[in-house]
Order: sequence, then structure tokens, then C-alpha cells
Amino acid sequence: MQVVSQVREPLITGGKTIRDITEDISSRVEESPSAAWLGGFAFSLLMFIAGGIYLGDLLWSGIGRWGLNKSVEWAWDITNFVWWVGIGHAGTLISAVLLLFRQKWRTSINRAAEAMTIFAVFCAGSFILMHVGRTWLAYWCLPLPNTYGSLWVNFNSPLIWDVFAISTYLSVSLVFWYIGLIPDFGTIRDRATGKIGRLMYGMLSFGWDGAAKTWMHYEAVSLILAGMSTPLVLSVHTIVSFDFATSVIPGWHTTIFPPYFVAGAIFSGFAMVLTLMLVIRKVYRLEDYVTMEHIEMMNIIIIVTGSIVGIAYTTEFFVAWYSGVEYEQYAFVNRATGPYWWAYWSMMTCNVISPQLFWIKKVRTSILATFVLSIIVNIGMWFERFVIIVTSLHRDYLPSSWVYFSPTIYDVMCYIFSFGLFFTFFFLFAKYFPVVNMAEVKAVWKESNPRVYRARRTVSEDEIPAADKKAIEKDLVHAH
Amino acid sequence: MEKNKHFLVGIFDDQDELLHAVEHIRHAGVKIHEVFTPYPIHTLEHELGYKRSYMPRAAFLFGATGTTLAIAMQSGMMGIDWPMIIGGKSFLAIPDFVPVTFESTVLLASFGMVGTFLVACGLHPLKAPRLFDRRSTDDKLVMAIDLGNNSLSEDQIKAVLKEAHANEIYRKDFTDEDNSESFLTYLVDLFTKGVTSSSRKLN
Amino acid sequence: MKSDVQYNLDERYVFSDKAKKNVFIVLILGIIFFAIGVAMLAFGGDHSAAHALAYGDPTGHVGEGGHGFSWVTRLKSDLWINTVFFTGITMIGVFFVAIQSAAHVGWSAALKRVPEAFGSYLPVLGVVMLAIFLWAGHDLFHWTHSYLYNETLENGQPNPQYDEIIAGKAGFLNPTFFIVTVCFIFVWFAFWFFIRKNSLAEDLEGGTERFWKIKTLSTLFIIFLAISSSIAAWMWVMSIDTHWFSTMFGWYMFASWHVSGLATITLTVLFLQDQGYLKMINENHLHDLGKFIFAFSIFWTYVWFAQFLLIYYANIPEETAYFIDRFQNDLYKKAFFLNIFLNFIFPFLGLMTRDAKRKTIILKIVCFGVLAGHWIDFYQMITPGVLKENGGFGFMEIGLLMIYIGVFVLWIGNALTKAPLVAKNHPMLQESLNHHI
Repeated sequence: MQVVSQVREPLITGGKTIRDITEDISSRVEESPSAAWLGGFAFSLLMFIAGGIYLGDLLWSGIGRWGLNKSVEWAWDITNFVWWVGIGHAGTLISAVLLLFRQKWRTSINRAAEAMTIFAVFCAGSFILMHVGRTWLAYWCLPLPNTYGSLWVNFNSPLIWDVFAISTYLSVSLVFWYIGLIPDFGTIRDRATGKIGRLMYGMLSFGWDGAAKTWMHYEAVSLILAGMSTPLVLSVHTIVSFDFATSVIPGWHTTIFPPYFVAGAIFSGFAMVLTLMLVIRKVYRLEDYVTMEHIEMMNIIIIVTGSIVGIAYTTEFFVAWYSGVEYEQYAFVNRATGPYWWAYWSMMTCNVISPQLFWIKKVRTSILATFVLSIIVNIGMWFERFVIIVTSLHRDYLPSSWVYFSPTIYDVMCYIFSFGLFFTFFFLFAKYFPVVNMAEVKAVWKESNPRVYRARRTVSEDEIPAADKKAIEKDLVHAH
Repeated sequence: MEKNKHFLVGIFDDQDELLHAVEHIRHAGVKIHEVFTPYPIHTLEHELGYKRSYMPRAAFLFGATGTTLAIAMQSGMMGIDWPMIIGGKSFLAIPDFVPVTFESTVLLASFGMVGTFLVACGLHPLKAPRLFDRRSTDDKLVMAIDLGNNSLSEDQIKAVLKEAHANEIYRKDFTDEDNSESFLTYLVDLFTKGVTSSSRKLN
Repeated sequence: MKSDVQYNLDERYVFSDKAKKNVFIVLILGIIFFAIGVAMLAFGGDHSAAHALAYGDPTGHVGEGGHGFSWVTRLKSDLWINTVFFTGITMIGVFFVAIQSAAHVGWSAALKRVPEAFGSYLPVLGVVMLAIFLWAGHDLFHWTHSYLYNETLENGQPNPQYDEIIAGKAGFLNPTFFIVTVCFIFVWFAFWFFIRKNSLAEDLEGGTERFWKIKTLSTLFIIFLAISSSIAAWMWVMSIDTHWFSTMFGWYMFASWHVSGLATITLTVLFLQDQGYLKMINENHLHDLGKFIFAFSIFWTYVWFAQFLLIYYANIPEETAYFIDRFQNDLYKKAFFLNIFLNFIFPFLGLMTRDAKRKTIILKIVCFGVLAGHWIDFYQMITPGVLKENGGFGFMEIGLLMIYIGVFVLWIGNALTKAPLVAKNHPMLQESLNHHI
């Protein structure tokens, strides 16, 4: 018997039954694709192909296409890589950290968030592969025996740490996500009316039967994967921050980078989840599963992480002054007032100032405001990486490379390509996979539905309403 | 009666009812074959008397293997096989090896544990499960009692199930063919007899 | 089921004579140890004291410039370690209550009065801190010397003691700003005071109005703490190594405080249970507390490692100096490695399994270990900066720590008697009583 305090909002509204949960989620998979879906999917494919043409040229001709003859010319592509990796943090965070902290509102959004995570990491990975230049030799990053007398990779290099971190993160996230999908595939398999559907979902479900013993192991596996994913998700962006912070470049070498990058990643990831979830919620009519309470909670996390990022910006500025190191001081003053002031102040406005609007209850419970702000945050987080990378590189050690960065068409189209990649996968996911974790939502259904379960009381002597009293007595009878 | 062929199936709606039913039924001396549920039910495994999952131990062992391998690999490659001075650090720059060691630990622990889980529960793409009631992946909690494994008679068990407030009680029999786990049989079944007959005899 | 077990929700803590006697034994032992330590140092008893004396004023008096490494300087350093350490633990008590309330945490409702009792100790520490600063400021904080800031002497000659780097920090490193950071403690106390007032009022009134008020107060407290704790950390500890800087430092110190605070909360709960109170706290609640200590020990390690690795890797002289100071002295080197062992490896292996988190004896051992570890953490943050290579560890440190513990326990024990041990009208109490992992 679970007891739920009266101060908690229900997690599922609309008086849904467990049957309804199965029906509402599975039928989205079973329906044939809508016109809107086909349109969106076609547009994603278009971006994928259009960007892919330029990417093909880039791979064929070499990354000189990006105009790489000054260090600052890398800016756009490294920014994209870090931006995508950052976005790829929220899913695992929602499922892992919120699971450990027993925040039950995660159940309705974790599936889509994890899917988003994985696709975002695909995009980030695609940028790593592009950066390598000769992509077909990317396997040289792995410590494989070779014909150069076994010349190994350099384990002292943060870039090699990155290879390990991102590939581990991607594969563990995939496993975590798939383990979560298995029971839901079982549900869809048992509802399937077509032979192909039954066969496909039958194979995807790994022969799931929902036996108590399997659930027992499954629960243990989920909990441990969550426990391990939590430091893992921290380690990934930490190591991405090491790529910068282990150097001695002013503006990059600062010890707060690891936790501050992680906070920024969570921040942008949550914003992306909100952007996507608000659309899915509307199109799939999931208002009873992704309620205002869910949106508000996510907005609160956005305020918290946005403020942490703000504090980190201030700390960096303060310590640059406090350190007395001239170069550090210049790097930070140059950020705010140099040729890229516009990028810096866009970043400040989008990341630190605009999320503060969520302190107002009216704003954080407005769908439109949330949607707009979530996009603003993502723009801001792109600028954050741009600012860090460009402002430190455009005044580095060789004055001959002091130029003003402007992207080439190849830079822009590779970015478009990554969007195409991301949305192509996401559209496929949203159509053929259950977008909400049915099993987990069913598990919190009983304690979150006031119509069914009303044992909400405190030990104070407040008079319990007669209707509630009856319900509580009934529950107690069942409990014994 | 033969084992694993003749079952009594009891259907429940509510998780708390099910927990009390399990307690009641086991108290009455009836052995429960298994309970199938669409979602995990807290403490059910405890009520059924299952030993705690050994997944944490598997994760620890695989994780420790990962740590050892990573440390051995990095110190072997950087310190013994091809030592190089990098950034003025010693050949065995231990702090630099921490990130990769951590990632390898998590990688091996996760994959090892999930592999153990799939093997322990017999889950794989070609498995065709034997379902007692198709609603067990939707909204019903399905309890199966193996008649061949219980000393009480079918009627006695039925009475116990009724006392435990089971909403539906029925008998379900499997043939040897049903019990075979062959994917081929499943496929042939699916495409010759249609969807309703596949997934092993659904009511 | 457990829900129908009746607990005594009106129980009050009685600070029994027996418990008080035990605390006084610790206090008296502490004073004895402290006296032995002082005597040994002042009259040259052990090796480290002789070592210290070799550099200091042989009479044991502090020199004019305040740079004599006598036992008095060492005492000042020790006082500072303990004051900062206990300020952190006390503040984390308030922070724990605030975060539980802001995040709508249900399981901890039944034990919330324990951390809530901590806050009343804050003003004492604020006053102590100010007193130490006034007495020992010049020995603890190099930047308090006014001669560092003048480029020329009065006679127009260049000042040989002028320090350009420190002079550049004058905007932050000045006594006024120091007093501002001490005022933070009183602001924390003010937040605690109002949270406590509402919490006690809830006991009488019931309803949920107070719950929401506490939530608002807690949120404001957390915002203020997020900013003030970092500034305090820079001022109280980072500025001791005046030239050195690290952007991570504020969060690093907060992580260290957080684990210590959690361990203290857990120990207090366990001791209350030993005395027959808080029967409603079962192994499920302990499991959660254990998880917190486990997780935040790992978090501390993460922050520690990130800071260390970046400085080690980039190898910039003005940053690396900090760790070189700690590596060229055997004692500090021991403290450095003991720090990692006690604060990472020990709680990691000790609390890894589910069973360990649910057994009181293991929890107690780990909590004591972790507390010792974080005391060492503060030791290695503060001592090398104040005493350079002349730091020591002996009876004086142990005695002084026991005195601080004794006073802390007396105060908290007394604070616990001031209110019922259970917030009986907390809207989440029923959830907490039925908590099951």
C-alpha cells in the first residue's frame, strides 16, 4: 500500500484506467502514419540529404572545405559537436538521476528523452567522425595492435578519453533504453493484429512474458544501470570539458569547467526534451500523461541548471580578475566587449536571464511560454559553446591567425545534415516505438490517480471529508 | 499429473489484492508457478519468496574486471610496450588513466550485467514465450499454478484462489508442442494459422 | 502491514544526565589532550614540535610580524580548521531541511527535526569566527598585512614587501569583505529561524499552509546559499594560499561540507535511536541516508579529481604550487592520500551493498570515517597555507577537535529538547512512515 500526501499533484489525470494507458500509447504505434508525420519525416529526410550532399563533398575533398587554415575556423563544427553532446545528456539524466531520487514524474517523459539522447549522441558522433578528416581511418582512435610496431593511442590525451567516454555513453544509453522498451514491445506484440507486426514486435520484445522473477531481475538491472549511468553522464561532459580545460589557453583552462559543462548540458538537454515533448504531447493527445505538473517540474530544473550556469559564468569572471593573470583577464573582458560581444550577450540573455522568467508561476505553467523559452535556451547553449571556442581561439598565440570567424556553406550544411539525421531518427521513433514507457506509468498509476486511490491524509486532526474517509476505509480493508 | 502442462490460472485486477492473495495462497500450502504482470509490483518477489536478485553481484564482478583490464591495458601500452614522455609527465601518469579506467568499468559492468540478465531470464529475439493470458501485458495480473507440482487437488486450489478474491479462475493446458521453445514452430504457426494462434495458445 | 503501527508522534528528546556525562567525558578528555599537546609543543616534547620550534620563536611567543611558527600559530590554524568545518556541518543541517522541502521529498519527513536542530548553532560559530579573525587574522591570512599593498615606502623608496598580485586582489581581500562573509552565517541563521518558526507552528496548526511557506523560504535560502557559500569558501579558505586560485574551489568545499553534514545527520539519528527515540525511522530511511552519503562521497571525489587533474595536467606554475606545497612534506602527503582513501575508497566500498546501508553499525563506522576524512580534507586545505612546512598533528589537534565535538553535541542535544522530535503535522509524514524501498 502506498500512501501519497495531499500536497502532491496527480501524475496521471483524466481518470485513466490501466487499460486506457495501453490503448492511448499503443494505438499511436498501430495507426497508419498521419499526413503531418509524413510531411515532417519528408522534411527531415530532405535536410538529411541536402546536408549529406555537402558532407559527401567534404569527405571526398577533405575538411579544408571548412576553410581550416586558422585554428578559429574549427569553431563552428566543434560548437556543434559539444552542443549535440550536451543535448544528449537529459535523457539519461531523467531516467537515471531522477530514478535514484525517486522523482516519479519522470515516468511519462523518460522514453522520449532517452531516444532524443541517443539520436543527439549520434549527431555528436557524426561530427567527431567528420573532424577526423579521413573518416574511414577513425578506428585508429582505438587501441588496436598495428603494423607500426604497435604504436598505441595516447592515453594521456583527452581526445582519447573522449573516444572512450562517448562510445561507452552511447552504447550504455542504448542498452538502458532498449531494456526499458522490452516490456512495452511485449504489450504491443500481444495487441498486434497483423502477422508482420506480431513477428517484428515479437522479436523486438525478446520473448518478454512479464514473469515476477524476470521483473525482479529487471528492476535490479534498471536500478544498477541508473546508478552507473549517473556518474557516466557526468563523466561524458566532464571529459568533453577536459578537451578544453586541460589546455593552457586562457578562457579554457579553468577548474570549474567539468561541473559547469555538466550543468549546461542538463540545461540544454531539458530544453530540447521540452521542445519535443510539447509537440508530441499535442500531436499524440497525451495531455493526461504529460501534465502541467510535468512541464512545471522540467521548467524548475531549467531554472536550477540555468542559475548554476549563471553562477559558473560569474565565478569564471571573478576568478579571472582575482587570479591577477593578465591573459585570463583579457580573455574574459574580450568575451564581453570584444568583436564577439554580440555572441556573449546573446548567450547571457538566453541562458541566464530568460530562464529566470520561470520563477513566475504563470510563465512556467504556460505551454506557449515554455515552448518559446525552451528554444531560446537551446539557442543560448549553442552560443555558449561558440563563445568559449571562438573568443579564446581568435586571439591565440599566433597573431597571424587572429581573424574574424565566419562560417562557410559547408559548415552550415553539415549542421543541417545533423538536424536531418536527428529528426529522421526521431520521427521513426515516434511512429514505431511507444513514446511513453507504459510499464512504468502503469506502476505509478495507482498512487497517482485520485479517482482510484484516495488514501491521502496527514496525521493532523483535520476533519477528513466523508467521501475520502470511505475510500480510505475501503483501502484499509483491502490492505488487511 | 504431469508437470508443466496443466495449470490453473487466476486473474487479479489490483496490485494490493494480488499481494494479499499471494500471501494467502502460499499460506494455504499452494505452490505458485509464477505471476505475470504488465508492470513491476513492489515487494511481489518478496511475497513469492524469491531470493534477491544477483544482478548487483554480476555488475560488481564485471565492473571489477573492467577496472583491472583498463589499468593493465593503459600501463602496459604506455608504460612498458612503448614508453613515451608526454607533457612532461611520467610514463605511468596515473591521474591521466582515470577517465578511461572509469569508462571501461562502466562499459563492462553494464554489458556484463545486461548479458547476465538476458541469459538468466532466457530473453532473446528468437524466443517465443508461452503466454497464459494475453492480458498479462495489458492490465491484468495473472497467476499460474502448476497442477502437476501441487499436492492439493484442482478443486481445492480453485477454492483457495476464490478465497483470495481472484476475479477469474480457469484451467489451461499445454501440449508438448506448445511447450517447445522452437522459433520455427512459432513462425510456421504464425503464418499458417494466423495471428490468434501464435504466441502459443491464447484463450 | 506497517501502516497501522502506532508511533509516539509527540515524543520529546530528554538530554539525559547519562548522555550529558558522556559528552563531558569527551570534553574533559579533549581538554586534557589539548593541555598535553600544548605542553609538549611549548616545551619541545615531540619531533614535530621541535621541528616547529626550529622555525619559530623559541620562547613560544608570536613575533611582531606574526610569522613565527610557534605552537600559538598552530593553535590558530587548528581553531580555524575546526570552526570552518563545524560551520559547514551546521549549515548543511539547514540546507538538508531546505532541499527536502523545496524538492517535495517525502521519506525524510519523520527525521526532519534532527537537521533542523543544527541551525541554532550558527550564530555561535559566527561569533567564534569573527573573534578568531580579530585575534589570529594576521597569522591565518597573509593578505591582512597592510604593507603588501603599498608600492612605495613612506620615504619614497620602492617597498620590498609590496606584492603586486595581492594588491590586485584588494577589492575582494579586505577585512570589510571578510566581515560580510561572516554576516552570511547570520543570514543563514535568519533563514533557519523563520523556517523553524513555521515548522513549529505547523505542529500546532496542521494544514498545508505552513508547508508552502517553508517551501518558499527554503527556495530563497538555497538561492542565497548557492551564491554565499562559494564566496565564503574563497574568503575563508582559498585566500589563505593568497596567490593561488581555482574556480572550482567553492563547489569543492561545499561538496566536502555536504558529505560531513550528511554523516553528522545520520550519526545523530542513529544515536537518538540508540537512546530509544525515533522508532519510526527504520532501515529504509537509513538506506536512503546511506545512499546520500555514498553518492555525495562520489560527488566529492569527482570535484576533487576534476580540480586536481586539471591543475596537474596543465602544469601552470602559479596553480601547481598549491599541490607542490602538499607533496613536499611527509605529513601533508599522508594527509593528501588519507583524504582520498577515507573520503572515496572507504565509503565507496563500505556502503556499496544494500545490506551495508541498512545496518546501523556499518553506517556508524562509515560516518565516523567520512567525518575524519573530511576533517583531514580541511586540515590539508588550511594548514599548509598557514604553517607552510611546519604543520604537525598531535595531541593538540585531537584535543581541540574533541572540544569542538563536545560543545557541538551539547548544543545540538540541547536544541533537540526544544521541540518535539517528530513534525507530527508535516503533510508528508504519512509517506515517510510508510516509506519502503
